[in-house]
Amino acid sequence: MGKPDFRVQNLHVSVEGKEILKGLNLHIRGGEIHAIMGPNGTGKSTLASSLMGHPHYEVTAGEVVLDGEDVLAMSTDERARAGLFLAMQYPAEVPGVSNANFIRQALNARRGEGNELPVLQFHRKLQEKMKALNIDASFAERYLNEGFSGGEKKRNEILQMSMLEPRIAILDEIDSGLDIDALKIVANGVNQLRSDNIGFLIITHYQRLLNYIVPDHVHVMMQGRIVRSGDAKLAEELEAKGYDWLKKELGIEDETVEVEA
Amino acid sequence: MSEVNTAVSHVHRVAQALGEPSSLLALREAAWRTFQELPQPYVEKTDLRKLTWETGTFSEQVGKVPAEVQTYIDRLQHSYALFVDGLPIDLRLTEEAKAAGVTYCTIHEAPEKAELLWKANFGTVVTGNENKWTALNQALFAGGVFLYAPKGTHIDAPFETIYVWTGGESGAYSRSLVVAAELADIQYAETVFAATTGAKVVNSHVLEIVALADSRVRVSTADAFHRGPTHFVTRRARVGKDAHVLWTVADTSDGLCVELVENELTGAGAKGLARVVGLGHGRAHVELTASMRHVGRHTESEIVMHGALRDKANTIFRSRTEIVKGAVGAGSEQHDRMIMIDGTARADAIPMLLIDENDVQRCGHAASVGKIDPTQVYYLMSRGIPKSIAVQMIIWGYLHDTVESLASDPMRDLVVERIERELSR
Repeated sequence: MGKPDFRVQNLHVSVEGKEILKGLNLHIRGGEIHAIMGPNGTGKSTLASSLMGHPHYEVTAGEVVLDGEDVLAMSTDERARAGLFLAMQYPAEVPGVSNANFIRQALNARRGEGNELPVLQFHRKLQEKMKALNIDASFAERYLNEGFSGGEKKRNEILQMSMLEPRIAILDEIDSGLDIDALKIVANGVNQLRSDNIGFLIITHYQRLLNYIVPDHVHVMMQGRIVRSGDAKLAEELEAKGYDWLKKELGIEDETVEVEA
Repeated sequence: MSEVNTAVSHVHRVAQALGEPSSLLALREAAWRTFQELPQPYVEKTDLRKLTWETGTFSEQVGKVPAEVQTYIDRLQHSYALFVDGLPIDLRLTEEAKAAGVTYCTIHEAPEKAELLWKANFGTVVTGNENKWTALNQALFAGGVFLYAPKGTHIDAPFETIYVWTGGESGAYSRSLVVAAELADIQYAETVFAATTGAKVVNSHVLEIVALADSRVRVSTADAFHRGPTHFVTRRARVGKDAHVLWTVADTSDGLCVELVENELTGAGAKGLARVVGLGHGRAHVELTASMRHVGRHTESEIVMHGALRDKANTIFRSRTEIVKGAVGAGSEQHDRMIMIDGTARADAIPMLLIDENDVQRCGHAASVGKIDPTQVYYLMSRGIPKSIAVQMIIWGYLHDTVESLASDPMRDLVVERIERELSR
């Protein structure tokens, strides 16, 4: 399989009849890291969730294509098996299901029937990845996210990502609630995965994370669409000057489209 | 009048077939009279008015052991007793248990083999006059064990009673009695294999446990009762001073069942735990009450009930804590949670606290009925797991801990298989 190719074209998304995304375009190829920045309430998380097929979000127009396949026609699990991954801001807790069991089921679903990873090999791989992310060995047998701290949940998302080796990884505010040490670990996990076989979409509203994961492209989102794109320098500029200058330049008074949780 | 005589002759027939001493016959006859005199009982969530009290005809014909049961038994490494339609087929005691001086025989042999223990305990935990179905059991009981663990016995492997009901014309009336002497630490298990039957009879099963001071008894049960008969199940332990009785109840019935599992925490410092998992399916009607009666001072209890429902099942899980006057310093917790897998099912989670004592240490309860959390399903799906498997994983996760605490590997595997069969449809 060649380099991943992920295209979002003119994406419109509504929640409970209210339009949040209003014609969003994005093109991510393997080896690239794209960052989406923007103030709260501009539709960043809606983008992440609707790309993954969260039932709460309704796509009213547009196209999403991964490696030539129509993503919007797929269910959430099909999207994941096609190589899409979303590191969630608020991952669910599932008592009674161990982390290891969950990841193994997910990995085997992705690899497909008849191509399952043997148990021992799986555990070796899991241990390696956990070590690389500075995760305690007991993590594997703990119940999925149950009683995890915010930082542990985020690290668990990155662990899953590195185990599943997606083609396109979307990280939704993976930096929120992390102290600087945890942030470095998470960033390190992302950097280790970086290759031509994976493209990243990193959603954040702080530039801080981008000191550790240097993006190739930075996009600013306001009013449910991308209003400005640039390189890593754009993120630095935003960190230094805030968003107001950009709003003024674009003639935007209220940049929001939604009330984010 | 002739009806009564037929029935009494039924009592005689059971007693004779099982070769019991005549003293026991008198007890059975008295219980039969009580059964007839007691009025139709009222059960809150189960309408008994149209149900039969027919007992069927007791058969002395020894039935065949079904292949499924034989496969199960072949795996057992611990002491067990096998009954088919109430008749004893096999009873094995491990060398370890023999060496420990354990008394293990059928309940019918007990009045002769362990006369004093029998007299002191039989019918004292579940009496023959508490209601119509316990009276009926005392009149007609056939099948069951007597187990006595002497002082200080510590045996980790369970003693398991396997009840097989092949679906004949007769009602089923099993009865076992377990006595753990001071400081004994044992495990007891009951596993039911029942065939589907069209017989409209009433069944009544009883288990009595006496846990003397400082003993610990862990009890596991795996029930699967089917439609046709009405099933009453009464399982109760009397828990002595500083003794501890822990129940793990796994119910996968799809029949009409009224079940009770109860600890009478009579001794000071007595402790009780009841963990229940239930999978209701088909047209099951299961009213299951887990109950803790605090009588002694500083007694503690916990009830954890987890139910999952499919099809048109109607399951009522009641967690009941009673703290009687004088039971000072008691503490109790209840968790009762039910998940509806199919919208056609019906679940009732009923927490009950009956407190007559002012000095209570703590008394917590939580009860909920709901659907599977869609955010959990979405999360699992977002990692590539298909929806049907995601749902199964979530439900398993939720039943997992209780299933794990069952007495043995074969028993766990059996319960897993029974649950899986219904979940994977």
